[in-house]
Amino acid sequence: MDFDAIVVGSGISGGWVAKELCARGVKTLLIERGRRIDHKVDYLDFATPWEVPNRGMVPEDEQAEHYAIQSTCHAFSSATRQWWVRDSEHPYATPADRPFSWIRGYHLGGRSITWGRQAYRMSDYDFNANKLDGNGVDWPIRYADISPWYDRVESFAGISGAIEGLEQLPDGQFQPPMALNCLELAFKQNVEADHPTRRVTVGRCAHLTEPTPEHIALGRGPCQLRSVCERGCGYGAYFSSLSATLPAAQKTGNLTIVTDAIVERLDYDHAKRRVSGVRVIDANTRQGASYQARVVFLCASTIASTQILLASRSEYFPDGLANRSGAVGRYLMDHVVGIGASGTHPGFLDRYYYGRRPTGFYLPRYVNITENDGEFVRGFGFQGFSGRSGWNRGAEEVGVGAELKQRLRSPGRWDMRLAGFGEMLPRADNRVTLHESRKDKWGIPLVSIDCTHGENERRLAERANRDAAQMLAAAGFENIVPNEKVSPPGQAVHEMGTARMGRDPATSVLNRYNQAHDVSNLFITDGCCMASSGTVTPSLTYMALSARAANHAADLLGTGEI
Amino acid sequence: MSASDSSNNVSLNRRALLLGAIFLVGGTAALTRFTRDPDGKSPAGPLFSPDQFALLEQVTEVMIPATDTPGALDAGVPAFLRQLLSDWGSNDTRAAIVRVLETIEKDAWAKYGAGFLEIPAERRLELVRSFDEKSIALRDLAYGKFKHLVLLAYYQSEVGATQELRYELVPGAWRSCLPLAEVGRASAV
Repeated sequence: MDFDAIVVGSGISGGWVAKELCARGVKTLLIERGRRIDHKVDYLDFATPWEVPNRGMVPEDEQAEHYAIQSTCHAFSSATRQWWVRDSEHPYATPADRPFSWIRGYHLGGRSITWGRQAYRMSDYDFNANKLDGNGVDWPIRYADISPWYDRVESFAGISGAIEGLEQLPDGQFQPPMALNCLELAFKQNVEADHPTRRVTVGRCAHLTEPTPEHIALGRGPCQLRSVCERGCGYGAYFSSLSATLPAAQKTGNLTIVTDAIVERLDYDHAKRRVSGVRVIDANTRQGASYQARVVFLCASTIASTQILLASRSEYFPDGLANRSGAVGRYLMDHVVGIGASGTHPGFLDRYYYGRRPTGFYLPRYVNITENDGEFVRGFGFQGFSGRSGWNRGAEEVGVGAELKQRLRSPGRWDMRLAGFGEMLPRADNRVTLHESRKDKWGIPLVSIDCTHGENERRLAERANRDAAQMLAAAGFENIVPNEKVSPPGQAVHEMGTARMGRDPATSVLNRYNQAHDVSNLFITDGCCMASSGTVTPSLTYMALSARAANHAADLLGTGEI
Repeated sequence: MSASDSSNNVSLNRRALLLGAIFLVGGTAALTRFTRDPDGKSPAGPLFSPDQFALLEQVTEVMIPATDTPGALDAGVPAFLRQLLSDWGSNDTRAAIVRVLETIEKDAWAKYGAGFLEIPAERRLELVRSFDEKSIALRDLAYGKFKHLVLLAYYQSEVGATQELRYELVPGAWRSCLPLAEVGRASAV
């Protein structure tokens, strides 16, 4: 054996697994398909607006030819272009009338560099949901199982947020919260007065506001309120694999990183019911290689891990590794986005703010918790964004010359956007499969993604639009524009669910510790494992499940069970 | 990921512009004229002829004049736009910008019987002001794009961001609710 453990993927999940395994003395190989990145050195976060290439815009022809899908992510710019794949080099198939946005980057740290940094706990409303309404399979865990792991990952990652005492959005081990701005405070008062069980709180985000000695020892410092996060942060102020988990893992001396290595398939030893090897192709030379370890973690991201499972077919697993249930590749979910409303406020014109807070606010789920809606199950939360408009508005308003200059010297009106994140039900026909004939430039079959929103998502979206517009109107907003078009699935960049956890090996892929029912030394802790989507952003849950699974695997390695 | 960044107003507006570019049509002829090297040397020659660049200089200076702070010319807006259109702009975008300038020039002839560069300063302002008003009322995509690029070129230049507006590379603090007078000018980003 070369290593005790192999971790495939270095994003949020893989970074956490590597950190926890290494801390337990497990010799770990981390395999990343993308290139190596040097934390801080490779970031453009100190470029001023006039130094950023083309003022942040990627050349139009290049964007259309190579980044048609990736450029739909708000974080895409000429200062972040290196964090996205070229769609032209990394194609996938979708039916012509059913688009799915697979937004991703191939480099060390993966999407932990570009993530939105919102970090919320799921609650028992989420873990009980499948059992209660019969959609999907019952989660094999409850909040009590994951709660101590949320504590652990929050303390290490550094999550800034306010204590709220809400059952549907459990509190955690928070760094001090960032404050709401003037308009958000007024909106909060208004919403909470009109709707006593609705709450407005500042976004819980993976930013240090009061670093602990543990953070400082890793070279991390407090957030400087620059809001250039998606370029990478030279202060290490927000959590990423590069700022936090990988440096911690490296300090143990137990971590080996191999980059530019694309996992093609996992070999399976039927006699031992184990993964016996991880086969890779060098991204540059296309040279093949194989690595062995006692335990393998797939953390390649939901769709990529699914692709690896499906490609790892054998005599014993003709439909893909660990897929006796047939659930691998099915039940693909995202969050329903493109819903909500926006408006402008006529007041507070003599108020402003200083600094660029890197988070918005959050209005947690209330529907089907304290306010029942007979039209659909589950619910949605709103991420909110508010500020005063800047010079941009000048292009849409009439006026030129000294008058225009004078006007734009001051900030414009306040605006607010309520961006709904709705739960998506697990449905068997929302699928990731391997394309029958098309292959990528390394000879690996392309994935086909076929995913749509259902009736429940449509009804939930309508309610979210209505509620958002109503809350804005009640708070004195004008020019209220409800969102009219639900974004294609994938646009939340929360794809999940294609190797779900469950109690029954006949209907699920992973057990309560993210261990494959069918293959004892295979764990999957990226979004694949999700039995339902919940309403909150999933990254913190991936962190907690990854840490929990890694420690369980370390226990099993210790006792010789795997 | 997803829509969870508070600083994305700029990029959203940019994206709307980029999407708008899809609908720009009929610019091929204008483009051919405009990208032709005046000396007939190479297709990779300057985007604007000297006359066209002079027009761009004067139009942008009218839009953003020097006041108690530098204007478009002193901030290098025309030269920047020329570079931007060369490095970033698609053929459609270049054609759209060309069309806007050509239309302004035509307007000058129609109204004053002279080219834009020949009419006095107050008439230039009058002309650009009424062109702006009309184009925005018509939601003219090409003009919207042009005006956005002019503003982008100015307000995201060092002069525009730091002298006209306010820019801190490292704010270092979040002060959530202040009197505007205490902060002063609008933030450039």
